[in-house]
Amino acid sequence: MTASQSQTNGAYRTAMVSSHVRLCREHYRLTLQLRDMDHSKPGQFVHISPALLEKEQIGDCRLTTMDYRQPFLRRAFSIADHRQVSDGWECDVLYRVVGTGTRWMEKLGKGDAVSVLGPLGNHFPIDTKKKNAWMVAGGVGLPPMMYLAKSLAKADRDVIGFFGAQSADLLALALDGDDKPDTLAQHAVLADKNFAQSNVAIVVSTDDGSCGFPGHIGSALQAYHQNNPVANDELVVYTCGPEVMMRFVAGFCRERGIDCYVCMERSMACGIGTCQSCVVPIHDQDDEQGWRYQLCCTEGPVFSEKDISWDFPS
Amino acid sequence: MAKPSTENTQVDLSVDLAGLKLANPVMTASGTSGYGPEFAEHADISELGAFVTKAVSPEPRKGNPPERTVETKGGMLNAIGLANVGLERFVSEKVSFWKNRSTPVIVNVVGHSVEDFQTVCSRLDDVECIAGLELNVSCPNVADGLEFGTDPNRLKGLVESVRPLVKRAKLIVKLSPNVTDIAETARGAVDGGADVLSIINTVQGMAINVDTWKPMLANRTGGLSGPAIKPIAVCMVQRVYRAVARDANVPIIGMGGICDWRDAVEFFLAGATAIAVGTALFVDPKIPMKICDDLKTYVANRGLTSIREVIGQLK
Ligand SMILES: Cc1cc2nc3c(=O)[nH]c(=O)nc-3n(C[C@H](O)[C@H](O)[C@H](O)COP(=O)(O)OP(=O)(O)OC[C@H]3O[C@@H](n4cnc5c(N)ncnc54)[C@H](O)[C@@H]3O)c2cc1C
Ligand SMILES: Cc1cc2nc3c(=O)[nH]c(=O)nc-3n(C[C@H](O)[C@H](O)[C@H](O)COP(=O)(O)O)c2cc1C
Ligand code: FES
Repeated sequence: MTASQSQTNGAYRTAMVSSHVRLCREHYRLTLQLRDMDHSKPGQFVHISPALLEKEQIGDCRLTTMDYRQPFLRRAFSIADHRQVSDGWECDVLYRVVGTGTRWMEKLGKGDAVSVLGPLGNHFPIDTKKKNAWMVAGGVGLPPMMYLAKSLAKADRDVIGFFGAQSADLLALALDGDDKPDTLAQHAVLADKNFAQSNVAIVVSTDDGSCGFPGHIGSALQAYHQNNPVANDELVVYTCGPEVMMRFVAGFCRERGIDCYVCMERSMACGIGTCQSCVVPIHDQDDEQGWRYQLCCTEGPVFSEKDISWDFPS
Repeated sequence: MAKPSTENTQVDLSVDLAGLKLANPVMTASGTSGYGPEFAEHADISELGAFVTKAVSPEPRKGNPPERTVETKGGMLNAIGLANVGLERFVSEKVSFWKNRSTPVIVNVVGHSVEDFQTVCSRLDDVECIAGLELNVSCPNVADGLEFGTDPNRLKGLVESVRPLVKRAKLIVKLSPNVTDIAETARGAVDGGADVLSIINTVQGMAINVDTWKPMLANRTGGLSGPAIKPIAVCMVQRVYRAVARDANVPIIGMGGICDWRDAVEFFLAGATAIAVGTALFVDPKIPMKICDDLKTYVANRGLTSIREVIGQLK
């Protein structure tokens, strides 16, 4: 099975902020009211911007003007949840403040309008033949896993979540129960309130050891795997986060013949396949050099680990 | 603005680009709307005055490694590296989309030698549904590393060498802003036989990451586009219009940072016969349609009946 084809062409909409919550240092959850965005799948993303084309009253006429606002280009965020509510649909995005765009988002309040393009991109495939699904995320790779966990739970998979961050205060998890993440990463526990609702046990790692396993999440994955062997052909791994981490997880899976899907991140200008910004190198036997570029926005962001040309100097 | 004295519906937005009739003067800019099908998923191509494709070179090109784009204050830098499917795949896979469409399609042509431009132009001039060929001369010549578009004589030579091969389609030359006086390169293009001039391509720029001390783009430098370059573009359009194009009767397609009707009107006043929207399409691909609607209102409100009455009227 290869990563799925793009299923849908996102539409441009104006959404309203219905809630905005700080989750931990630099991380927020923004909930957007999107009356008519009635479908999406885990792995897909929304492209958001402050650019609302406003009608300006000029004499008796109304013309569309575009005030210059920063950020100018849209910013991509994985859909962290998408659900039907009484008067339409709601979508969550989880973000970390890193620059101009996310600093603008940080200032948004309830009732503010945001321009949303989406849902965009393909999605994580759910392999019905594999009983075990492990999700491995680092940093802001976590959001798509929140949405994926729900789909996997519905599909009755046995799901484990591996989540890493630099330190405990950068973990966007809800770890307020009695269960604490295992410091040896030998056991997964129902330590996060939200994941526990989907019956997803988790392994946590922090670089500084302030929560869970001390070290990076790849090492935690290795430790857990050693202690909890699962037949490789009954396991599928989904990963999202910094590229070095995904590269490690992909290598881990490749060595063992485990299917692995990675959710890639690239700078995106358009999000719809017109600008060619967001290229990912993919193996291609028909190509002279053995690889070609695919677009992260329309042919991704989810790729099968096997397809990515990891050695390419990207 | 005064009360409308003309109904919007009576306003004539049609323009004539050296014999190529456009139902309205709003086009897409090369490299910002793909080859057509990608854009068509998000906006109605039949409402555009014309569509300009991504550059096509004789051979396929992978383009530059990422990062290829970065937002800067007021715009963005890009160094896509002219990634494209190449001439053969363009003809076999991309052209069919354009058959039997009312919207004219213009193909942006790029090469690293005079022969490259000749190869692409002569092949595409045979393709009936292609209305125009736009030469992108903002790239270095492999022979000596100098851009075709920065030297008037070299540009004239290039245009002269493809002119006889382009018998049916309109020959458009897209000028680079990275020159001391754009009127000189415009003169070179017109003397070489250009039917139409596109003004401007991106402005050379660079952004540096202050944490890593490395350039933000893998290619180190890139082309600046978006609202930041609009005053440069407007200035260059009026300069070329007054110094060369008006007297030579060569129409100008104006572009650079256009986001709404007001931006567009500035270009018409400066001397553009048509305008193209580029970077702003990344925010919303329907911006050209909104500009068309609003241009009608603008023209009506001025008590005029045609957008052509606005062209070059800068006082
Ligand atoms: C498909 C896709 C899904 C994404 N999902 C999410 C998500 O769910 N949550 C989320 O927070 N982000 C996500 N991102 C990343 C998000 O798009 C960027 O964080 C955002 O564009 C940064 O915009 P900015 O204007 O704030 O930063 P910029 O001003 O564009 O960048 C500021 C600096 O931060 C660096 N930077 C950019 N992104 C990150 C990052 N993610 N982490 C650390 N440093 C970064 C840049 O290299 C730059 O140096 C996703 C990206 C893609 C392509
Ligand atoms: C991502 C991107 C790709 C571009 N690719 C091309 C190209 O292939 N050929 C070309 O002649 N111009 C290309 N351009 C330049 C635009 O067509 C246009 O001249 C320029 O961006 C100014 O207009 P804008 O500010 O509205 O974008 C590109 C611009 C961008 C932003
Ligand atoms: S972001 Fe423009 S092609 Fe992917």
